[in-house]
Amino acid sequence: MGFLLTTLIFFLVGVVAALSVCLCCNGGPSTNLFHFTLVVTAVVCCWMMWAIVYLAQLKPLIVPILSEGE
Amino acid sequence: MGDYHSHGGGRGHGCCPPMDLMRSEPMQLVQIIIPIESAHLTISYLGDLGLLQFKDIKRCGEMARKLRFFREQMTKAGISPSAMSLTQTHINLDDLEIKLGELEAELIEVNTNSEKLQRTYNELLEYRLILQKAGEFFYSAQSSATAQQREIEAQQVFDGSLDSPLLLEQESLADPSKQVKLGFVSGLVPKEKSMAFERILFRATRGNMYLKQVAVDDPVTDPVSGEKVAKNVFVVFYSGERTKTKILKICEAFGANRYPFTEDVGKQMQMIDEVSGKISELKTTIDVGLIHRDNILKNIGYQFEQWNHLHYVSIDRFYDFLNFTKAQIFQVRREKSIYHTLNMLSLDVTKKCVVAEGWSPVFATSQVQDALKQATYDSNSQVGSIFQVLHTKESPPTYFRTNKFTSAFQEIVDAYGVAKYQEANPGVYTIVTFPFLFAVMFGDWGHGICMLLATMYFIFREKKLSSQKLGDITEMTFGGRYVILMMAIFSIYTGLIYNEFFSVPFELFGKSAYACRDPSCSDATSVGLIKVRSTYPFGVDPKWHGTRSELPFLNSLKMKMSILLGVAQMNLGIVLSYFNANFFKNNLNIWYQFVPQLIFLNSLFGYLSLLIIVKWSIGSKADLYHVMIYMFLSPTDDLGENQLFPGQKTLQLVLLFLALISVPWMLFPKPILLKKQHQERQQGQSYTLLRSTEESLELEQDHSSQGHEEFEFSEIFVHQLIHTIEFVLGAVSNTASYLRLWALSLAHAELSSVFYEKVLLLAWGFNNIIILIVGFIVFVFATVGVLLVMETLSAFLHALRLHWVEFQNKFYEGDGYKFLPFSFALLGEDED
Repeated sequence: MGFLLTTLIFFLVGVVAALSVCLCCNGGPSTNLFHFTLVVTAVVCCWMMWAIVYLAQLKPLIVPILSEGE
Repeated sequence: MGDYHSHGGGRGHGCCPPMDLMRSEPMQLVQIIIPIESAHLTISYLGDLGLLQFKDIKRCGEMARKLRFFREQMTKAGISPSAMSLTQTHINLDDLEIKLGELEAELIEVNTNSEKLQRTYNELLEYRLILQKAGEFFYSAQSSATAQQREIEAQQVFDGSLDSPLLLEQESLADPSKQVKLGFVSGLVPKEKSMAFERILFRATRGNMYLKQVAVDDPVTDPVSGEKVAKNVFVVFYSGERTKTKILKICEAFGANRYPFTEDVGKQMQMIDEVSGKISELKTTIDVGLIHRDNILKNIGYQFEQWNHLHYVSIDRFYDFLNFTKAQIFQVRREKSIYHTLNMLSLDVTKKCVVAEGWSPVFATSQVQDALKQATYDSNSQVGSIFQVLHTKESPPTYFRTNKFTSAFQEIVDAYGVAKYQEANPGVYTIVTFPFLFAVMFGDWGHGICMLLATMYFIFREKKLSSQKLGDITEMTFGGRYVILMMAIFSIYTGLIYNEFFSVPFELFGKSAYACRDPSCSDATSVGLIKVRSTYPFGVDPKWHGTRSELPFLNSLKMKMSILLGVAQMNLGIVLSYFNANFFKNNLNIWYQFVPQLIFLNSLFGYLSLLIIVKWSIGSKADLYHVMIYMFLSPTDDLGENQLFPGQKTLQLVLLFLALISVPWMLFPKPILLKKQHQERQQGQSYTLLRSTEESLELEQDHSSQGHEEFEFSEIFVHQLIHTIEFVLGAVSNTASYLRLWALSLAHAELSSVFYEKVLLLAWGFNNIIILIVGFIVFVFATVGVLLVMETLSAFLHALRLHWVEFQNKFYEGDGYKFLPFSFALLGEDED
């Protein structure tokens, strides 16, 4: 799974989550916008976290060196 | 990345509906005039509604002032309020108000009378002194004058015929009609001023006067100030009307009291007698007055404590008493609060209605009106209440309609400072970013699940627990149950990313990317493994755990992650400052604060973030520290092996230039343009278009606050200077501050791995069931006590700091005040 594919999955999860929140807890346009913001922020945070860790391991400069004991 | 964040908020304006919780509710100041017969019921219904914050108009304040006045008077007169009499007579507050008013009027009258009398008395005392002392001058002067006269006469007889020119002189001396008429002024002057008094008199009259002063033995009470002062009796002789006016002016300036005086000795004696008579008369009058006043005060003193007590808690006591008989606590509190509220309202002049003023959210207008109508109907009142909206320049209170989920997050923001009216609310983003940053420091899905279970207990038993009395700490945890829920969920997520379950990694998302270089795996401990597959798809590769290179790798990763997350959040903060400026129609803040700030932060730390990402993507070995440092030290040098992409040097030069430009851009234009605007307004040349009502209200507030104040350019400039310096230095220090994410998450990971390896695995190694049980118990206690409680607290506090300081200082003013409606629902929280 590449970077873009997973990003797409995150995006889809975000869309589904936003839609389901809007459908489940429909409370007028301003409330929906608020829920949408929350979902978007949460998805963006999670995606950033994943992307950072993924990118950091993409082209490793250092590799795992096992401890002597193992 | 920061821009990505902004999407949600960006739709709050223009094209999209306003977002819940982003702005505090629009408020209005309302005035309600309630007929007195339905006042109680109306207040009661409004309390049920709980959407009106009454302003304390007066009454109680007035009564408190009167009581303070009585206390002052009593201490002045040396009367102490007698111990509270324990008679349980219930005094009506209205009666008390009238009584206090009457007593105050009487006391004030007595005081003014006695002051007047005292003043006259002191004046008379001074007058008597003058009469005595000045009389002595004149007597001694006259006797010496007559002696001189005789001498002259004798001389005249002796050499009268010898010297004819002397005759002229003699004539002038002897002839009273030709003599210059000397006037005089007599009075009392404070002793310490007497020297200066003499000097000034001398100068002003150019020496054409004669001053005679005698010190009075005892200090005299000054009639004006009422203080005891050492004084001199003086008599000034002068000639001419002009000199007289001069002298009178000087006397006034020096606070010298003048008194009329006659040269005639007979009259003098008569006057002394007269004055002495008056003095003794006055003395008796004053004494009688004082006794009268003391009587009033004693009377007050007798009841003072009772009133004072009554004023503050009478209703409490009354209803506490009822409390026992009725045992309907809520009903009692309700009544009590209604009376407290009624006390805040002012009576109309006709005394037929009460006038209430208060803040209410605009959306509640119809609800309030319905409550008023209902109260009028239910109390069978002939007249309905009048509801009207007042226009005010006062800043309204801040009211966010929160629910049980959002309220705890809003409280996190409010603990720093309540938002200014309608300012962008960081609470919206805090709901997600706060638990997220917490979880970055607390990434372990084992611990996350423990936390989730704990908070689930609170959430499922919510109904039962909310009606119960809880301990302090439990209460706090219960209040923050949804915050903890979010923290737990994000901790599970970041725990999966960090691949830690009580510090143990799992291969949940596929196979590790690393494997031995050859089947024998001989160099795995020296050179290390090799990447044989595509990158581990989700989170940290499980192979890293326990390796020698784990720490260097995680340190590098977490440090860079902290900077990336920090720059993203700070950008979000700056974008929110744009929303604020846009909302309040403040173009200056957009162009001379938001834009340069965004450019400055991103040309330095945005660029650093870019470098980090590029370095990861292409696997470059470039030294980012070196790049960043030499970007400032020698920007024109070649980057050499540290070059990550072509054209990097040019980009760096551009960014450096932009960063340098944006500092004066932040600093100078705003205060200068503000000054220009102010000048234009002063000349009355700036007419702005009328806008829609809401905006123009904002504008009005803006204008009025700026228009009436004196425009201090230096002050505004210094303010902008501080703001700029704060931002520029803050950009560096705040970015560095985000490194706490790295430090804390590292500490958490290390601690949990120590507990796992040095306690649980060690105990396991003994192959002894008892040791294993003991080891397990120790592990559980260490995990719960240190990791779940203490680490949670510390990560919570650090996340709090990152939000309060690093995030909110980009846009949040937080100088508003909270909307505190009169509501029976809130009563239970206030008491006990």
